[in-house]
Amino acid sequence: MLKLHEVRAGYGRIEVLHGLDLTVRPGEVVTIIGANGAGKSTLLKTISGLVKPSGGSIEFAGESLASLGVEGIVSRGLVQIPEGRQLFGPLSVEENLELGAYVRRRRGRPLGEKLAWVYSLFPRLQERRRQQAGTLSGGEQQMLAIARALMAEPSLLLLDEPSMGLAPIVVRDIFATLRDLNREGLTMILVEQDARIALSLAHRGIVMERGRFALEGEARTLLEDPEVQAIYFGQRKAGNVRAMEPR
Amino acid sequence: MNFEQFLQYIFSGITNGSIYALTALGFTLVFNATQIINFSQGQMVMLGGMTAIAFHGAGVPLWACFLGAVIVVVVISMGLEHVAVRPLLSKGVLAQIIATVGASFVFETAAMIIWGRQALALPAFSGERPIGVAGATVVPQTLWVVGLTVVIVVALQIFYRRSLFGKAVRACAVNPSAARLQGISYRKVVLFSFALSGAISAAAGVMITPISFMSYSSGALLGLKGFAAATLGGLGNPVGAVAGGFVLGIVEALGVGVVSAGYKDAIAFVILLLVLFIRPVGLLGARVVTRQ
Ligand SMILES: Nc1ncnc2c1ncn2[C@@H]1O[C@H](COP(=O)(O)OP(=O)(O)OP(=O)(O)O)[C@@H](O)[C@H]1O
Ligand SMILES: [Mg+2]
Repeated sequence: MLKLHEVRAGYGRIEVLHGLDLTVRPGEVVTIIGANGAGKSTLLKTISGLVKPSGGSIEFAGESLASLGVEGIVSRGLVQIPEGRQLFGPLSVEENLELGAYVRRRRGRPLGEKLAWVYSLFPRLQERRRQQAGTLSGGEQQMLAIARALMAEPSLLLLDEPSMGLAPIVVRDIFATLRDLNREGLTMILVEQDARIALSLAHRGIVMERGRFALEGEARTLLEDPEVQAIYFGQRKAGNVRAMEPR
Repeated sequence: MNFEQFLQYIFSGITNGSIYALTALGFTLVFNATQIINFSQGQMVMLGGMTAIAFHGAGVPLWACFLGAVIVVVVISMGLEHVAVRPLLSKGVLAQIIATVGASFVFETAAMIIWGRQALALPAFSGERPIGVAGATVVPQTLWVVGLTVVIVVALQIFYRRSLFGKAVRACAVNPSAARLQGISYRKVVLFSFALSGAISAAAGVMITPISFMSYSSGALLGLKGFAAATLGGLGNPVGAVAGGFVLGIVEALGVGVVSAGYKDAIAFVILLLVLFIRPVGLLGARVVTRQ
């Protein structure tokens, strides 16, 4: 579904991604874990077109993304939920959702139908549909960020640290919804610092270090990998979030 | 000052205030989309008036002069975006602002070469016969100015609140990169904002020319007044821009009545400085724009 070959990218003259290869199959959840500054967000931004790759190729559903702008990429169903949610704070919850569907304004399912669908996934949002997005709680904001992305009818969803700054119980709820979405066929690339919860949802995991993939494997294998355990289930996070059962 | 005189000053304040409000809106639209303060905004107003005068001189009916001037200035404003703003995108906002300062000189000089130095007028839209209101009088053009300003402001409000593209423009003002991730074309929004800002400025220029004449050099002062109004209302806040325009117009008119007509233009400048010193976010609060 998505194929990266020798992808290099960076900012100005600084190269952040040093030649990455990645294949994501339909229906898969691939998680990318790694320390701060490893280049996880840069990788997602490169896939979604916000950062232009300086080398290599990216193919989505058999089509090269090189000549498509950000808008062209979104309209093909490759949708990113950026780090830190990036909602339109002064706009209402429902206006944020309408803008999520902007790219499908002429084709795709009717707006009302999609709104009803995302409200059924996140009933809290429906209660607050007239509220300014910037005044929502952190958890509600993350729900809105996911819902807004779903309004674009993605076939591949890129999530950048959806658990960031949220209480464990909220994280569990959100990840349960993500799991349901995946069961219905939505493919995802999930960037997380919280390796345990990420690997509990994902089929496959990749450990990223300084712009390179250091380790790749089945989620289950990585969860049991002593090196991963030592580094990523360290004291800092392990006690913090109760992980879901690995699948 | 008796009541009739007071009313007369208020009428004149509301008339000029409408023009300041529209000019301030022009500043606001461009600022919200790009963070740029377009220093050639006043020259757009001037070009609107001058172009309408030129069309009228060629025997075109007034309504078509209005329309023609709006179209011409829209094209000029979009040209400004293409030539002076877009190529400097990577150089940062300051370079773009300086480019608009340069553009203001270009527009002014071009207008001087085309139309010369004298102030020119346009006939009023529907006659000159004053209408009596509670002892004071207004010329019909005043009603046109205020009426059309209200129509423009209401139409804009509906556009920004109701239409999907209007919401997309607001989204770009909040967070351009997130807007792009929704498939909104930021470039289109910027170009559109320049076009709309040009249209509104041109309309203001055409409407005021029958009352206060227009010359190649009128733009600078109109720009200053519009900028003062936008700052007064809180830069980036469209409702504030309109309110700021009317407040400035009325304060200015009353200042003329109480102090002296000689100080009229200084009042905008004093208000601008006071706002910047005392309440830089303006009366209604600037939109705090954070960019990623
Ligand atoms: N806009 C930018 N301009 C210049 N350098 C950047 C920019 N964004 C990120 N970088 C640099 O690129 C490197 C990778 O950053 P990136 O945001 O991709 O890391 P990350 O893995 O997502 O980290 P985190 O877990 O903290 O979100 C860092 O060294 C960072 O300083
Ligand atoms: Mg990141």
